[in-house]
Amino acid sequence: MDSAPTTTHANTQLAARVSAATASVRSARAEHLVHRALGYAAMAGIVVIIGLPVLWLLTGAVKTNREIFSPVVQWLPANPTLDNFGRAWQAAPFDRYYINSIITTLAGGLAEVIMAITTAYALVYVRFPKRDWVFALLLVALMVPEEVVIVPNYLTVANWGLVNTYAGIVLPGASIAFGTFLLRQYFRTIPVDLTDAARVDGAGHVRAMLSIVVPIAAPAVATTAMLSFVAKWNEYLWPLIVTTTQEFRTLPIGLRWLLDQEGNTEWGVVMAATLFVVAPVIVVFLYAQRFLVSGIAAGAVKG
Amino acid sequence: MKSPPNNQNLIGRIRRDWREWLTFVLLAGPNLGLFVIFTYAPMLNNVLLSFQEYDLIRSTGTWVGLTNFQTVFNSSQTGRILLNTLVFTVASVGGVLLLGLFGGLLLNQPLRGRNAARSILFSPFIISGAAIAIVWIYIFDPRFGLLYTILKWLGLTSPNWLGDPNWALLAVIIVYIWRNLGYATVIYIAGLQAIPADLYEAARVDGAGLWARMRHVTLPGLAPVVFFLIVTSILSSFQAFDLINVMTRGGPANATNTLIYHLYEMAFINLSVGRAAVIALALFGLMFIVTLLQLRYLERRVTYA
Amino acid sequence: MKTSKTISRRNLLKGIALGAGAATLAACAPASQRPAPAEAPQSEAATQPAAAPAAPSGPTEIVYWGFSGGLGNTEDELVKMYNDKNTGVTIKREVQGNYEETAQKLTAQLAAKSDLPQIVLLSDVWWFKFYRSGSLLPLNELVAAQKMDTADFVDSLWIEGVRKGVQHWIPFARSTPLFYYNADMLEAAGLEARGPKTWNEFMEWAPKLVQKEGDTLKVAAFAHPGAASYIAWLFQCVAWQFGGSYSDAEFNIKLLEPDTVRAGQFYQDTVNKMGWAIASQDVQKDFVTGLAATAMLSTGSLAGVLRDATFRVGTAFLPEEKQFGCCTGGAGLAILAGASPDKAAAAMQYIDWATGNEGGAFWSQNTGYMPVRKSTAASESYAKFFEERPQAKTAVEQLPKTKPQDAARVFIPGGDQIIGKGLERIIISKEDVTTVWTDVTAELNREAEPVKRDIAAMGG
Repeated sequence: MDSAPTTTHANTQLAARVSAATASVRSARAEHLVHRALGYAAMAGIVVIIGLPVLWLLTGAVKTNREIFSPVVQWLPANPTLDNFGRAWQAAPFDRYYINSIITTLAGGLAEVIMAITTAYALVYVRFPKRDWVFALLLVALMVPEEVVIVPNYLTVANWGLVNTYAGIVLPGASIAFGTFLLRQYFRTIPVDLTDAARVDGAGHVRAMLSIVVPIAAPAVATTAMLSFVAKWNEYLWPLIVTTTQEFRTLPIGLRWLLDQEGNTEWGVVMAATLFVVAPVIVVFLYAQRFLVSGIAAGAVKG
Repeated sequence: MKSPPNNQNLIGRIRRDWREWLTFVLLAGPNLGLFVIFTYAPMLNNVLLSFQEYDLIRSTGTWVGLTNFQTVFNSSQTGRILLNTLVFTVASVGGVLLLGLFGGLLLNQPLRGRNAARSILFSPFIISGAAIAIVWIYIFDPRFGLLYTILKWLGLTSPNWLGDPNWALLAVIIVYIWRNLGYATVIYIAGLQAIPADLYEAARVDGAGLWARMRHVTLPGLAPVVFFLIVTSILSSFQAFDLINVMTRGGPANATNTLIYHLYEMAFINLSVGRAAVIALALFGLMFIVTLLQLRYLERRVTYA
Repeated sequence: MKTSKTISRRNLLKGIALGAGAATLAACAPASQRPAPAEAPQSEAATQPAAAPAAPSGPTEIVYWGFSGGLGNTEDELVKMYNDKNTGVTIKREVQGNYEETAQKLTAQLAAKSDLPQIVLLSDVWWFKFYRSGSLLPLNELVAAQKMDTADFVDSLWIEGVRKGVQHWIPFARSTPLFYYNADMLEAAGLEARGPKTWNEFMEWAPKLVQKEGDTLKVAAFAHPGAASYIAWLFQCVAWQFGGSYSDAEFNIKLLEPDTVRAGQFYQDTVNKMGWAIASQDVQKDFVTGLAATAMLSTGSLAGVLRDATFRVGTAFLPEEKQFGCCTGGAGLAILAGASPDKAAAAMQYIDWATGNEGGAFWSQNTGYMPVRKSTAASESYAKFFEERPQAKTAVEQLPKTKPQDAARVFIPGGDQIIGKGLERIIISKEDVTTVWTDVTAELNREAEPVKRDIAAMGG
């Protein structure tokens, strides 16, 4: 009896606490739902704003010039035509261009990724006098406009006898500052004790790089790789300058060939060819998404 | 008189240093070597060209002192071009970074279909500039374009976007942001993934709300990536050539002429190698100063925040 | 291998003699006079009938840098027609991009002295750059050896490539401005479906053709392009019509002469005071979509306009003011100075065919470029072509009345863009015409300096 009020009190307190807890869970859930709804709305907004012009562009591939030029926007063509694809394909030797693009993109992209990893690793983990100056020097490379290097580099490459070769296309662009910079920033966020521990265990730099740093930095490496490959895939001016014959030309050059000097360009054909160029990148991009998941958090709770 | 063990320590340290240095050279050397040949050497050559009147075909030049500098900096166009360059860079970098952060935070959420959304956001970045230009010339058409229609709904009249010198630069900036948003978003997402999830967990336990978590976990965690994005976005928008070339060619009436486009005009249309070299130097100098300031004042704050 | 080497050595000797011949010729011929074929064979070597095409034993491969885009596809067919004839010369056509990219690339390869083509397509504003650097082969002797009837070429087109009496650039893909009108729209406005005789007449028509929504001009009577789309090319004709010009042949700039100022003022008024014209991002698109009732466009646009337009398209001579005025434009073919004599001769053999009655007719009918020879335009195939496409007839009839362009636009590096940007200031920024022309004159004068120096060094 004596204890009853206390118990009751305790019970009430408990009940209050429980109900408060459920309320907060409930309100958290409500908040969560609101957030998700807002998130979906925002995502839909972005998709429409960014996607609509792209959609219009891509549907151009099945339209005639008259439909494309129609003053009233025709989102879906009245008479879709597949002619544009055939004509685009015949306008340039695209089969050959595909092979060339794949070879030069793989070679150039791979070289960039490897050098970005090794250089960034060296900049963050390997002792060297005036390491920051080396980094600054890399940044300087980002400040040199392409117009400045085109002709001198042509002379160099021609001197080496590399005009009309894959090496000539790949070599001058194989070095990388963007990716090195990105990875350097990312590597610096990796807790130092992780790598230190490995080094104390007697692992050399190469092993520490490959077995610890790279796996942890997987999302950044994947991002670097993606950007490198996209850049190589879309590169236009240099491959054009350093090749004179069809045998070594790449896809963006084929695409540009469709633009007419006198303004008679058939845009439907251009859009169809744009699809040739863009489709593989979109596929690769979708696939690469899976690597954009945190390396550090791989085992831990998702953020 | 030094004691032998001390001496040995020193030798050991030097030997270890040497091995570190050698490792550094092996890891970073190839990258830098290629830059020396294909980037630094042409740039040094460019410095020499700026003092010459040079004939590329015959590879002969005459020294003209500072004439090229005088011609470029006395030109009535130069002020306008510099201003355009700065406006374009500030506005487009600001737009890309802020909207990209929003996109990155959003598409890092576990939302269904976010992969598709990321791809759509990224797709303008990989579509050829010429194709993009034709779409946007269409959207901007002041009589029938998409923007005209939208503005009409809102009861506004459409400006003559690409034809009016007061609007053309804004139009190009809009397209530039539209095109590069996906790039920034992807980088932000990679950065967000680098933030250890337990930091969020700890903040939540401490009772931090959404905004507090944003301020104390997300932003500091993103800082290194933000620094990367600021530096590279500024450098690439200084050199944004493609869109201007296909959409406006610097016009109307120089309204969208920027240093990089002017460099192209000088080098490949006016064929003045010497003056083009001066413009390249000016552009380089501007980027160099801006980057230096960022390294000096931003990096420390950002990396060790 | 060995034979070809001997041949080329023999041809080399001949080439030296030819070169000497050309020099003599250059010294004698008055600047503006076009050398007739009979003038040529003065030197010993050139009189040898063995000259050129028959000489090489195996098929000679000639590398040619040509058009990209749809024009490139047509050119592929043209080259195939030629190669199928098995003349002993095969053309390997390569594409290096648009005019600017081709010029840029040629510059790099000339500097590296590697992988050079024999024939290259150069536009009206580009060939002179390579002439100045001595990269183009003087063609008089080759023309003579090929027995090309130079008098058969349309005069205004032919003389444009002549410097110091020597031909360096042969007309091939040549166009002129043409007045296009939307016949349906003219009739709907109660006007006759024809081009205006004069600008004064058009000023009466124009208000009937415009359609407005508030202050916005929904449909314009006429559309001007921007500097990027060669407004300086089209306005050149208007300047001439008003009695003015950009410059004379000696680079004396004439922009500030009253008639050129008047022409500039007229252009500004069309947009500003009279308000029936617009400055357009894409004139051809605006015309085919009915947003502009009339426009000046290149003859080279005809095929595209007819393909895309949903109304009856008419073409007419350009309107007159004080007088008629219409300039030439487009691109021509040049042979690079590095070509060996046998290759140069083979290259000329192709050029002769591609600009002649067989190749030239096919090319111009399928592209909208002008037939560059009088006999081609008078041929039976052209008579039939005109029946199918009467709009093209106007262009060909206008051709004899055209004149080569002013030096300020085509010979001063960047001249086209300098004038074009000035015109943008006049039309779009509505700046005072005299102020703008004063600035443009100063800039043109400055840019002309190195050109004048080079020309002086080359002896005229």
